[in-house]
Amino acid sequence: MKIPYKTVAFGTDTMRVPDIGAILRRSGFWLIALVILLWLATGIHVIGPDEVGIIRTFGKYTRIEKSGLNYRLPWPIERVDRPRITEIKRFEIGFRMNRQTGKYIDKPEESLMLTGSLNIVDMDLIVQYKIKDPVRYLFRVRDVPTTVRLATEAVIRQVVGQHTIDEALTTGKGLIQTESMKMLQEILDSYECGVTVTQVQLQDVLPPDEVAEAFREVASAKEDKSRLINEAQGYANENVPKARGKAAQMILEAEADSAQRVKRSQGEAENFMAVMRAYKRAPEVTRKRMLLETMEQVLPGLQKYIVQTDKGSDLVNVIGSSLLKTEEQPKAKTEGGSK
Amino acid sequence: MRAVRIFFVAVVVFLVLASLITFKVDETKQALVLEFGKPLKVIEQSGLHFKLPPPFRTIEIFERRLLIYDSPPNIVVTQDKKNLVVDAFARWRIVNPLLFRQTVRTEPGAQARLDDIIYSDLLRELGQHNLDDIVSANREMIMEAVTKEANVKAKDYGIEVLDVRIKRTDLPQENEDAIFRRMQAERHRIANLYRSEGEEAALKIRAQADKEVKVLLAESYRKSQVIRGMAEAEATKIYAKAFNQDPDFYEFSRTLEMYRKALNERTTIVLPPNSVLFKYLK
Repeated sequence: MKIPYKTVAFGTDTMRVPDIGAILRRSGFWLIALVILLWLATGIHVIGPDEVGIIRTFGKYTRIEKSGLNYRLPWPIERVDRPRITEIKRFEIGFRMNRQTGKYIDKPEESLMLTGSLNIVDMDLIVQYKIKDPVRYLFRVRDVPTTVRLATEAVIRQVVGQHTIDEALTTGKGLIQTESMKMLQEILDSYECGVTVTQVQLQDVLPPDEVAEAFREVASAKEDKSRLINEAQGYANENVPKARGKAAQMILEAEADSAQRVKRSQGEAENFMAVMRAYKRAPEVTRKRMLLETMEQVLPGLQKYIVQTDKGSDLVNVIGSSLLKTEEQPKAKTEGGSK
Repeated sequence: MRAVRIFFVAVVVFLVLASLITFKVDETKQALVLEFGKPLKVIEQSGLHFKLPPPFRTIEIFERRLLIYDSPPNIVVTQDKKNLVVDAFARWRIVNPLLFRQTVRTEPGAQARLDDIIYSDLLRELGQHNLDDIVSANREMIMEAVTKEANVKAKDYGIEVLDVRIKRTDLPQENEDAIFRRMQAERHRIANLYRSEGEEAALKIRAQADKEVKVLLAESYRKSQVIRGMAEAEATKIYAKAFNQDPDFYEFSRTLEMYRKALNERTTIVLPPNSVLFKYLK
């Protein structure tokens, strides 16, 4: 297309410029159509897979778009916002972790809090939340992230204030997490924030540095306690079974002894019966034989004194009183035996 | 082609006119319509609205969403005369743009007014409670009371206070030191308790073990005595039964056996000449 020129006068000078009027006149209709088309084309937009499109027509919320290729009327009629509804948002209280360097920065003014019965605990936590209702998220509350953070700080202190320091440090952590999560969600719902709290995660829960030593002492005392108990248990484990063994031994010994006693008595009784039966057949001679045989066995080893009966007492006196006792006892037995 | 020129002129004229006689109210905003600077009405409905062109009608836009008021930390004195550093925040919104415009005009103005209202209410309300109450027991209730009072005052400024919450309660340094000392003492107490509990339990376990040992041994001694006694009785019965058949012979044979056992080389025996042993020596 040949570009038409025209001459324009600047005071005394003249200048050749493109004749826009002529261009427009020539291409007129098409140009209008092109401009309108381009304007309309600015309304084409893509909603990402993790987003939704919230459309406002003249500022009024009119519709919600799913991910994919979408169309809205161009500015200034409609505008689109794309909140990321699948994204988990996360923030830290009591510390900041630099994701790149992994550097940990403590924030004692956030993490030190009063527990029940006025102790102080150093508590770090992480909160995660995501958008539940993108319309509320955009239109009901200004600056939702700050709101969530402030509400969390209020809630965690309120909940921790209702627990003792020992609960906060040990067994009550889970309870504190669930209670704060519930309360935080209630508060955020009352603000109509349009978010869901997915996690309140307690990180380090520690006693403050100033009293850490005393807490360590408690821990070691606890260890001492279980050590003492274990030692005592060891003592019991050592001695009781031993005693059980000893008890069993005593009983078994008694049983053995009594079996022995009974058997022996039976044996002796049988022996006696056997001898007795034999004896009954010839009592006189057997009696004499038995006596003589016994004497024969016994007498060779003895010191013997034979005394006259009528002078016996003199000889006894001569032998001396030292022998008297040993004499008398066997004598007594002899008498017993001769009956 | 005059059509093109006419078209662009028409577009420009339309846009100018539209901007004069219409206004947009966003979903997040509310509009106050002024007639020669005098507040006329509030429009909360979002969307496109028509109006007379300025200077007959002008529009002022105010926030409709919930807003944050974050107070600076303040020192309050509790009923039990303890100092407490309280850091509170509040959620508020403009409910009456007309009043709002007439009294505080702007959001920073409102924040300054909220400073006064919330601080004084907190001071008064917390002054009626003990430190313990504020930290643990009644925080929710106290906050509701503060919210209620703040709300009454804020109403005059076209503001609604949705809630006031204590973000942080900290103790001034000197009180904190006292708490740390108390915590240390408490920990020492607990540590001692653990140790003495350990000793208590250990002593109990040991004593229990000793007792078990004693009882076991005594019981087994008893049982063994019973067993032995029964055996003795049995033996006695057996002996008696056997020996009873001829007690005389028993005595005789038993005596002979006793001689065998009792008499030995240290025994001296004195025999009379008429002893049965010498019967045949005569």
